[in-house]
Amino acid sequence: MARPKRAKAAAFWRRLRWSLPVALLLWLIFRPAYNTFLAFAAEKLCRLFENPPATRVVVQEDKAVIGRDDMRTGSGWLGYSLTQIHFNLIPALALILALPGWHRHEGWQKLVWAVCILVASHLLGLVWHVQFFFATSLGPWSGANYGPLARNLLGFLQYLFDIPLTFTLPLLLWAGFYWDQVSELVGLPAAGTARS
Amino acid sequence: MGKLQAFLATAPGRFLLRYLVALGIAFALMALPPVNERVVKPYTTFVAYEGAFFLRLFGEAVSVKEQILSSPRFAVAIYNGCNGLEAILIFVCGVLAFPAPVRRKLPGLLLGFVGIQLFNVVRIVALYYTGVFRPQWFSTAHVLVWQSLVILFAVSLWVMWAQRYGTAEAR
Repeated sequence: MARPKRAKAAAFWRRLRWSLPVALLLWLIFRPAYNTFLAFAAEKLCRLFENPPATRVVVQEDKAVIGRDDMRTGSGWLGYSLTQIHFNLIPALALILALPGWHRHEGWQKLVWAVCILVASHLLGLVWHVQFFFATSLGPWSGANYGPLARNLLGFLQYLFDIPLTFTLPLLLWAGFYWDQVSELVGLPAAGTARS
Repeated sequence: MGKLQAFLATAPGRFLLRYLVALGIAFALMALPPVNERVVKPYTTFVAYEGAFFLRLFGEAVSVKEQILSSPRFAVAIYNGCNGLEAILIFVCGVLAFPAPVRRKLPGLLLGFVGIQLFNVVRIVALYYTGVFRPQWFSTAHVLVWQSLVILFAVSLWVMWAQRYGTAEAR
């Protein structure tokens, strides 16, 4: 039992050495298009709940520049690094691709699901940044349109998506979707074995 | 629903559930203002002093003011998210949730904490020198390289610990 486990572990460490550069490369290739998509989708999502729609999210280099059409040109615009929002695709992909046999048992399907969940978390993360900025940084306009409860709730959501989810999602998706392989790797019994 | 219940009755299912709960509690605690003031900020200042200690070994004239580490050449502010606490929580919650005896968890927690501390010091020193010699690379190195590496390091440490202690006894 110890030997196969050790062999699996050795394979995992070996594969991690190339899966990390592969994940980084994929991320670099898709980053410009993904930045544009995120900004576009976040703007549309915010505008869905506005009347008249006024949120603006535009991409400038790596930043999402956030503002409102109905404010003076010189009024507050926030530049927020999109890399900070979606860098966790790299460790998530690296961990998944490093698992020996990740593609077996509908592994590709699970990979698509994991990426979709990450994309949803990035999109919501950006939306909370936009909303928190509107709620706290636009002077009297913020005070008039957002109450203390809304500001606190948006602050909490921003924190949740900014730190806890950004840092833990790669691990949770890796362990959650590929628990068979992860269990084998760390020496837990297979998921089919219920507690007696 | 039945499928989920069946999964949660398995060892990996129970582990994942415990892990989620532990992470949820840990990050919720960290978000509380009193915890932030009395634990996170002092800890981050400690991390800044650690970084300064090692940078002085390399002959850098650095000083620390709260969470800012500065020298005439460059300055870095260490915020929540850069202090290594997230990596520590990922590792610590993973160890606590794993089905292993306490006597095996304790040394794991201690060694893991020290290991992540050292890794974070390497990160701070490397970022400081990136800022000194290649300031245009600082943002990429900070967000992209080191944040990814810190997550992978915490997960790798946990995998190593679990492989070593995830024995028949642990099940």
